[in-house]
Amino acid sequence: MNLDTRLDGRPRLDRRFPATLMAWRNLSRNRLRSTLAALGIVIGVFAIATLGVFGNVLQLSATDSLGDLGTQVVVSPNPEAGVETLTSRDLQEISRATAGKGTAVPLYTDRAVVTGPGTRTGASLYGTADPRPLFEADRGTIPASHRQGALVGSEVATRLGVGVGGVVEVDGTRYRVLAVLAESEGISPVSPDNAVVLPERAFGADGYDQVVIEARSGEAATDVARTLDTRLNVRTERVVVFEFGRILEQIGEFFALLNGFLLGLGAVSLLVAGVSIFNVMLMSTAERRGEIGVLRAVGVQKRDVLRTLLVEAALLGLVGGAVGAVLSVLTVFALWWATPIELAVVLVARNAGAVLVAFGFGVVVSLLSGLYPAWKAASERPAEALRG
Amino acid sequence: MSEAETVAADSGGERFDGPTIELRRVRKEYESGAGTVVALDDVDFGVQPGEFVAVVGPSGSGKSTLLNVLGLLDTPTSGLRLLRGRDVTSLDDEARTRARKDAIGFVFQDFFLIPSLTATENVELPTLFGDDPTATDRARDLLRRVGLGDRLDHTPNQLSGGQKQRVAIARALVNEPAVVLADEPTGNLDSDTGAQVLEEFRRICETGVSVVAVTHDPLVTEYADRTVELVDGRLGGVDDRHRSRPRPRPREADE
Repeated sequence: MNLDTRLDGRPRLDRRFPATLMAWRNLSRNRLRSTLAALGIVIGVFAIATLGVFGNVLQLSATDSLGDLGTQVVVSPNPEAGVETLTSRDLQEISRATAGKGTAVPLYTDRAVVTGPGTRTGASLYGTADPRPLFEADRGTIPASHRQGALVGSEVATRLGVGVGGVVEVDGTRYRVLAVLAESEGISPVSPDNAVVLPERAFGADGYDQVVIEARSGEAATDVARTLDTRLNVRTERVVVFEFGRILEQIGEFFALLNGFLLGLGAVSLLVAGVSIFNVMLMSTAERRGEIGVLRAVGVQKRDVLRTLLVEAALLGLVGGAVGAVLSVLTVFALWWATPIELAVVLVARNAGAVLVAFGFGVVVSLLSGLYPAWKAASERPAEALRG
Repeated sequence: MSEAETVAADSGGERFDGPTIELRRVRKEYESGAGTVVALDDVDFGVQPGEFVAVVGPSGSGKSTLLNVLGLLDTPTSGLRLLRGRDVTSLDDEARTRARKDAIGFVFQDFFLIPSLTATENVELPTLFGDDPTATDRARDLLRRVGLGDRLDHTPNQLSGGQKQRVAIARALVNEPAVVLADEPTGNLDSDTGAQVLEEFRRICETGVSVVAVTHDPLVTEYADRTVELVDGRLGGVDDRHRSRPRPRPREADE
């Protein structure tokens, strides 16, 4: 080593990762072809990641908005069997069946015109003595035993311009507003937003229109529903016992199917990407036959040539996969921004998992596709390769 | 493969007084569609340290096979192959690759530089896979020695044919080989440039490295110490026109 070599000070070729360096230079040689090969992986990873996250988000949003439906059972009279209201015997059976397993709230339902200080509007009426299990107050308080006054749904309150302490008039009777109900966040058997909840005495009817049962657990709900179905519907379908958990199960099955389908689509695009990388690697190793022969001739071991070529394939997968994953994340956030999807269902570990798995698949597919071309090129006898 | 180990251990380039590389009664047969082809037929061949031997002969006479067998790219069907006195007749691929790296340099007609690497990186190529901290300095030094001190970081497509071949020569020398094997080294060069490359070979010989060049070019034989002719796989017709040349200088004096 002489002095001017030391003074030369140019950055050294990174000798720690010769395979990576060679692979990167080789890919840079034909940028368009490398880009196109990586593009296949970009699309495949993007498809798998985005569709995976999309399926997750759909499922989570659905189960989120269905909320605790899984524990609810609604019993209502079956008008097709000529039953208009629930009898007191029905109520006794219901309270017996729910004892220890949850609470049952009997409800009157009706529709009426509600008059506020300035305007009037149509609203659903619910009548119950026990509103606490079913309704939540946004302002004011919900009485444990509802004997007077009205609980007003948020939409009705806005339309009428009334608040807690105001007065609304229903069917000629004036009620003081005890509470404005919180907006409902999901689907529930009673929809409070466009409703006014009144004491039972406001309803002159002879029987309740439905009973909403809030069970302690999903199993308890199923159990209660089954018991009620056998006890109340002895000869005829007198009442309809509606268990929301059933829907949840069906929705779950539907989403599992949808997810599988979406992921299948993504997997096909990744497969196509694999074939394209296979093709590109075969072509580029065939073109470089002589060069690879020289590498072997000047003393580069077969395994080092193999490693270099595999790193090329892996780099295509890594770069393509990373770009695909980033695009996918951007798309998901764009979706969150443009649709009513909530951030909470986007930022879950399962979504990050979907993106990572898609990225991993991209790299693995690239490596597998590069395996045969790399092995074939590295195994050729240098004397043959140099003959051209 | 204990021979492999000894060859590798021998890589330091310690003096061995016999031929650098030697073939004894080497026969090489190929199976082809038409039957068995004898590419080398009982070839006895040896090169002394610092000797420049030209191998001439018509196309298909087995020149390339001779170079491949000498260069450990191919294995003889029978006979004995010695590298600095060690038997390297039938090493496995890994051991042969290691022996090539340690003791043999190649120069090709088509240069075979890697277009995506700079001149320095091309010269470093044989050392690239492995821990060799002084390789870059050696590569730059060699490029300066072959007159390419101002082309260190040029890529091959920025170099002329003669410059490319000089890069290839530097690459052949980077691991301080015992022998440089050249396949038509002047085949793609005009005669002036070819002469410069041959001058380079002469300088290599002066450092004690053997050179074997397979060629059609009569110019090569003028620079060679000895010319042998290969016809139909048989070595003969030795043109015994020894040039008078000084004994190889010891390496230390060169640096």
